[in-house]
Amino acid sequence: MAVQSDVMEAAGPYDRARALGAFKLGDVTFYWVTRACAISVLLILGGIILSLIVGAWPAISEYGVAFLWTQRWAPSADPPVLGALGPIYGTLITSFIAMLIAVPVGLGIAIFLTEIAPIWLRRPIGLAIELLAGIPSIIYGMWGFFVLGPFLANHFQPAMISLFDGVPVLGTIFAGPPSYLSLFNAALILAIMVLPFITAISVDVFKTVPPVLKEAAYGVGCTTWEVVRSVVIPYTRVGVIGGVMLALGRALGETMAVTFIIGNSFRISSSLFAPGTTISAAIASEFAESDGLHQSGLILLGLLLFLLTFMVLAAARLMLSRLERQAGS
Amino acid sequence: MNDLSVSVSSATGPVPQMALPDAPAKVTARDLNFYYGDNHALKNINMALGVNRVTAFIGPSGCGKSTLLRVFNRMYDLYPGQRATGHVMLDNTDILDPKLDVNLLRARVGMVFQKPTPFPMTIYENIAFGIRLYEKISKSEMDGRVEKALRGGALWNEVKDKLNASGLSLSGGQQQRLCIARTVAVRPEVILFDEPCSALDPISTAKIEELIHELCENYTIAIVTHNMQQAARVSDKTAFMYLGELVEFGDTNKIFTSPSDRRTQDYITGRFG
Repeated sequence: MAVQSDVMEAAGPYDRARALGAFKLGDVTFYWVTRACAISVLLILGGIILSLIVGAWPAISEYGVAFLWTQRWAPSADPPVLGALGPIYGTLITSFIAMLIAVPVGLGIAIFLTEIAPIWLRRPIGLAIELLAGIPSIIYGMWGFFVLGPFLANHFQPAMISLFDGVPVLGTIFAGPPSYLSLFNAALILAIMVLPFITAISVDVFKTVPPVLKEAAYGVGCTTWEVVRSVVIPYTRVGVIGGVMLALGRALGETMAVTFIIGNSFRISSSLFAPGTTISAAIASEFAESDGLHQSGLILLGLLLFLLTFMVLAAARLMLSRLERQAGS
Repeated sequence: MNDLSVSVSSATGPVPQMALPDAPAKVTARDLNFYYGDNHALKNINMALGVNRVTAFIGPSGCGKSTLLRVFNRMYDLYPGQRATGHVMLDNTDILDPKLDVNLLRARVGMVFQKPTPFPMTIYENIAFGIRLYEKISKSEMDGRVEKALRGGALWNEVKDKLNASGLSLSGGQQQRLCIARTVAVRPEVILFDEPCSALDPISTAKIEELIHELCENYTIAIVTHNMQQAARVSDKTAFMYLGELVEFGDTNKIFTSPSDRRTQDYITGRFG
């Protein structure tokens, strides 16, 4: 301390300017270091896209745009016939069903936790949600394979099949035979996996609603449901959509658990209870034993997944900015 | 007026000269006690809000005035650990009855908060929202009700051309008048104002005070304020609270000119608070 105060006393105006100069140098360094960090993200992203395109080039030049709507996947044929329609269909349909289940349930949990649950119940449920988010996806896969799959095939699927038998459209969607490995099972596992994301983010954004705003709504005589529907959700719309999109991104790319239980069939079936595949599951299950055009085709699948995820995020951004503009006008 | 009024009125602005005849009670608190957990926040409050009268609550921060206001519409119910004992009668209903439908109660006892709280929707919807909760009416009828409410909130002329703009696009003072209009729209019997002007500029404040004056023709009004001139300007009755107790309650005129309690006098003359 004594040394420091000596220095302080000795410091004249000239020294102070020099000290400030040193700060300035630090500031410039700081500016460039953070800038480099930010730019590195762009470089990494660009590098990944570039290497995907390079790797996929043989397949692109061989199959062209028809790759997108060819259903046949016969890598061992001579020459190999590769088409992405099956995996694209599987990816979209499993993610769609997963969101269909997870969004209402996730929002329901979040609303219960923030608006309705008694204080003593909030922590245990909140903790359970966090733990659910922390379970590695391979465990979901095993559980889906050994527990959920058999349960669905033995109980849920037969019930649905007989329930919708003969009903137009629904009868085709829920058609037999029951299977341990199916699109529906994968979608259900995905729903369970993304549920904690949606819940955790929704809880966080619901907490940002000013209490006085909720009191005002209660003050005109609203019930809890009306407060949630007319004040909490509109107020937090942007954040909730962001959380849902994040969850959708995860569902689209989820690999391990899905590979376990989807059945890895490239054939498209109208029934949800039939096996299928997704882009990431196809890559995971075949990449190790692939070479040449087959491998290039799988890389092209990866590129497609990348584009798909990118488009989802872009759509989300667009939607959010439109909502913001509406709210601001 | 006596000599004391000279010294006080210079500090508090003009005091309403005409003493109103006592009005019948709309809301009556009897032996009301309130607790935040173990904290005894209101102690044996006995008082009444007169029909079509403005009752002001003054006192230093933390004295329990806002707490008392929040008892009148059971707003404290939203938070666990807060409880009230005693009786608060709204006409012949006991507000503290646990079996009471609090949503209906809050439709009868409206509240305007310290900060403007427009809902995240259009100006029109902000008003229509509360009406729709209790009444199924046609579009044209709703248009009429919205206009009436906005006129009641002295806001109609400023917003009639932009009813579909977001409620959040208005200025602070306009937002607060929108909230008043919204409260009026559901036709309550009592309106509670919890420091309605503390976030507003003097011009908006003057508008809202004028509005309160007009509203008391049709509603029973309670207002919590830190601004003693405001209490003197808008209220018929004033209650001075201190440390959870109702120290003095009487005609505003009398409270600001010849308070009977030493603490009241100290507070209104600015010796503490």
